[in-house]
Amino acid sequence: MAKVEEIKEQLKVILIDDLNLDDITPEEIGDNDPLFGDGLGLDSLDAVEMAVIVQKHFGVEIKDMEEGRPALQSVQALANFIVDKQEKA
Amino acid sequence: MAAGEQKLGNALGYQLFYLFIKVGGRRCAYALLNWVCAFYVLFRPQVRCSCEPYLTHRFGAAVGFTKLWQQYRLILSFGRVMVDRAIVATLGAEQIKVSLVGREQLLQVRDQGRGMILLLSHVGCWQLAMSAMGALNEPLYMLMHGHASSFESKNYQTEVDSSCPYRTIDPQGYLGGSLEMLGVLKSGGILSIMGDRVPRQEKNTAPVSLLDGEVALPISPYHLASATGAPIVVLTSRKTGDSTYEMVVADVIEVPVGLGRKADKFIPYVQRYAAILDDYCQKNPYQFYNFFNMWQ
Repeated sequence: MAKVEEIKEQLKVILIDDLNLDDITPEEIGDNDPLFGDGLGLDSLDAVEMAVIVQKHFGVEIKDMEEGRPALQSVQALANFIVDKQEKA
Repeated sequence: MAAGEQKLGNALGYQLFYLFIKVGGRRCAYALLNWVCAFYVLFRPQVRCSCEPYLTHRFGAAVGFTKLWQQYRLILSFGRVMVDRAIVATLGAEQIKVSLVGREQLLQVRDQGRGMILLLSHVGCWQLAMSAMGALNEPLYMLMHGHASSFESKNYQTEVDSSCPYRTIDPQGYLGGSLEMLGVLKSGGILSIMGDRVPRQEKNTAPVSLLDGEVALPISPYHLASATGAPIVVLTSRKTGDSTYEMVVADVIEVPVGLGRKADKFIPYVQRYAAILDDYCQKNPYQFYNFFNMWQ
């Protein structure tokens, strides 16, 4: 559980840095805010970039749509996905 | 189809072409096409307008008969491609011969096993020329919309059902199909994307030079290449005779891995593609089929 919390905080900082979200702070990103559309407003290119980010920083691969769609719903969902994958590795 | 493009013709007109093809073959359909294209150019201002941006950038400002003649040649050339597609759908794929220039280079890239992005353009007839991709002997995944034109829709469905070696990813699907495209490339597959049109509401573009003007082209193919390490193979197709087409491996672009998210990082690679388009337009002035103002 503590690991999920830690990864969520890391994710927020990494997303802001790597996706160039200059007008937002980590504190303003809610754990369950939708990442795409009305939430953070990320787009399809960001989705690809997030797959790269997750692999680069956490060693976890988002292989395809089946894995990516539920994992990329929110920071919470992504952190759960990362921890789950790391534990299974 | 891009914003601003007009849907032409109607079901009855399409059926007439199919009838001419069945009864008289290609020459008969081409003869009808000459008159139909002349009618559209003379009496449909929106057709003339749709040709204007490209022709002006390619040939400079023309007036009078010269301008009409350029418009007629462009529309006729496009019409012949449409008729050829209808011929394949009606009489069979053997009616059109497609040659592949750069086959060895293409197979070398495939054999590297890094996945591959085939970057196509709305030139020649990519739908027919794609049959040359049978040389790859692997399934192709193509990012493409459903066609707006019923004529194309009828043709396309027939081609897919019979001989086309590709499967589609819908850009209007979840996150623009990006995760599906990522999945294809990560598994070493082959993905085909059109590089010369920007999907509606797409903001990820780069400004590049084309035919002495500036156009915005999508960066997503280059970003995908950077994210996955897949090489980009730029393909162009052209009609070389009444029943012959050529698919050419124009370039292989290696985009460095990890360029990140900023559009300006991709400009050199998008410009390299635009230069290929520019050269193509110089050599094949009436086979560039973007009937909207790319230079807005």
